[in-house]
Amino acid sequence: MNEKNVTLRVENVSKRFGDFSAVEDLSFEVRAGRVFGFLGPNGAGKTTTIRMIVGITVPDEGSIELFGSKMSSELQNRIGYLPEERGLYKKMKIADQLRYFAALKNVSGAEADKRIDFWLDRMNLGEWKKKKTTDLSKGMQQKVQFISTVLHNPDLLILDEPFSGLDPINVEFMMDVISEFKTQDKTIIFSTHLMETAEKLCQDILLINKSQKVVSGSLREIKESYGKNLIALRASGGEKVLEDKSLVAKVLEHSDEKEIHLADGASDQLLLRRLIESGAVVTKFEQIEPSLNDIFIEKVQS
Amino acid sequence: MKKFLAVVKHEYKKVVLKWSFLIGTLLLPFLAACFAVIPAVIFSLEGEPTRIVIVDSSRRIEPRLRENLSTEKIMEKGRKAANESLSDLSPSQEEQMKRGAGQFVKGFVFVNHGVQNQTPENIRAELTERIIRDEIDAYLFVPPDIDAADAKFEFRSRKGSDFVTSDTFRDALNEAVRSQRLADANISETVLKDLSRPVNFDAKGMDEKGEEKDSTGTFIASFIIGLMIYITLAIYGQTIMGAVVEEKETRIAEILFSSARPFELMMGKLVGVGLAGLTQLAIWVVSATAIIAVLALQVDSAQLFASAPTITPLMIVYFLIFFLLGFFIYASIFALIGAMVTTVQEGGQFAFPPIMILLVGFYLSFAVIRDPNSSLSFWVSIAPFFAPITMPVRILAETPPFWQIALSIFINAVAIAGLIWLASRVYRVGMLMYGKRATLPEVWKWIRQS
Repeated sequence: MNEKNVTLRVENVSKRFGDFSAVEDLSFEVRAGRVFGFLGPNGAGKTTTIRMIVGITVPDEGSIELFGSKMSSELQNRIGYLPEERGLYKKMKIADQLRYFAALKNVSGAEADKRIDFWLDRMNLGEWKKKKTTDLSKGMQQKVQFISTVLHNPDLLILDEPFSGLDPINVEFMMDVISEFKTQDKTIIFSTHLMETAEKLCQDILLINKSQKVVSGSLREIKESYGKNLIALRASGGEKVLEDKSLVAKVLEHSDEKEIHLADGASDQLLLRRLIESGAVVTKFEQIEPSLNDIFIEKVQS
Repeated sequence: MKKFLAVVKHEYKKVVLKWSFLIGTLLLPFLAACFAVIPAVIFSLEGEPTRIVIVDSSRRIEPRLRENLSTEKIMEKGRKAANESLSDLSPSQEEQMKRGAGQFVKGFVFVNHGVQNQTPENIRAELTERIIRDEIDAYLFVPPDIDAADAKFEFRSRKGSDFVTSDTFRDALNEAVRSQRLADANISETVLKDLSRPVNFDAKGMDEKGEEKDSTGTFIASFIIGLMIYITLAIYGQTIMGAVVEEKETRIAEILFSSARPFELMMGKLVGVGLAGLTQLAIWVVSATAIIAVLALQVDSAQLFASAPTITPLMIVYFLIFFLLGFFIYASIFALIGAMVTTVQEGGQFAFPPIMILLVGFYLSFAVIRDPNSSLSFWVSIAPFFAPITMPVRILAETPPFWQIALSIFINAVAIAGLIWLASRVYRVGMLMYGKRATLPEVWKWIRQS
């Protein structure tokens, strides 16, 4: 992999709070221009890791490199971070708060005003510019928070559960903005425990559990490596064959088809042959990929 | 640096552009004026005339007592007392109030009560009955022989807690009895009065250059300065705490910490709010100067300022320096508390100790006003936590040698450095701890770890 194309490199990073180890010997890379899914159950160490990446805390061990150099407060200006727990100043006008957040990322003056107007209009919040936070609905507040994350046009966007509490229209809207960033060759780290969203958005994933890495790599490859033993079957007859434990480990009944989990080492071709030999009428027999959800549950429970 | 300035600007505007700032700026001088005037007003409202029966079988005391209690006599006494109190350096507040009230007392109305051929017990019962019926307020029993060893003047009053009335009455009675005794001993009262007139006691303080100055104005001015610093420190300290808690409560801290260093953020907050405090003080100083200047133009009021202390520009610089020292001491304590707690209400409980220290400093300034050169005054005016209030008061009362001022500034600056060091460590960790209030051992761990 070309050095230049790596936005973030995390190497052997550990973080402890007293006796509790929040992150243990974690290493991974995030490539430029990719959407990187950072997944894990609650309490796995996601937020701790992100806080180290954005420079809020420092690792006890290991190193973090951003854009090819060690983390520094200069580099913070190139990151846009939307924390999971987020808020706004209650009694301050929207434009004033955005101006403050922009100034803290070294964007100020007319340039900041221009960008604030642009984003407020884009988010349909133009009329709310002079209103206070308490006048806005929860959804509007979340859009304002999102604006504060992208105002300084960051090269790396870190979104921690960005869609929680958003209605479907706004989710769609946010998705558009995110894909726009992707086309500009910006890197997006996307942290969530909602696998369906991750599956739709992410190209690469990292799954951590109990402060350790479980799976990482491109979503495609990961799915392929898990995808050889799942069959979608629609057939009448052949029930006897499916009871053969040397062939079939598990059968899940869906509405109009069955999901067959093959036994270890069993061949899908043999199963198909046996079904036909038993006189079953097979109308669908398809190798399917596991969903990210399946992989997640399997990995986290094992 | 750019980010630090952005924080300063943000915090400054947040305080100054609020209504509460404008109201506070206007209201505090008004409240201070009320504090000065209200006690006098309240006592001036007092004084329904006291209806009294005097039972004096000897008829020797009653006429003199009546004369002493006449309105003109009481007024005259009050004026005299007021004149004395002006040259009195530090009358206790109770004394001052009593004297002030003496000027407003309404006087006594004498009610006749026939007492022919009755036993004292009967008379007492009758008078008590009249008091209960609200016909009279008090009665006095004069013993038949005032010089008997067991002679007792019985004064019974419905207004037992009205110390102004009973004190006035007691004074008048003492005087009447004394006059009677003098008359009995054949000593002329006028001669005695002439001989026992008080000396003309001309008390004035002296400043370090040996120039005379009147201390009444200094007392008042020192008190005002002490009060002003105390109030601004308490208010702005709690403003800091509120701002810190808000950022923690709303989780804005997380965004801020991903944009700038915690130390920059905390210092920016302290400096921004501190500048807002300075702005308010400046408004007060400028407007006070303007009012005094306008009043001074009117020739009549020249007398008013005869006793005012001279405040040099250097003194104002000192006041501002000590205000800033005090501000940074208490603001860093309040920032630390804000980072520990989860809500403003919780912070209120923790704010109690620093407010108490501040209050002790304010009370100590009275000791400093009384004797600016005592060793107590020296120690409290260089001690951290107290010096920001006591030193300006001391400078105004009697400017100490420069080395003491410099020492005080140095000691307090060191204290500030230590407190900011502590606060920044607690701030860095505490601002990201959600959910529950930190215990003191936890805070101690944060300080050691980070």
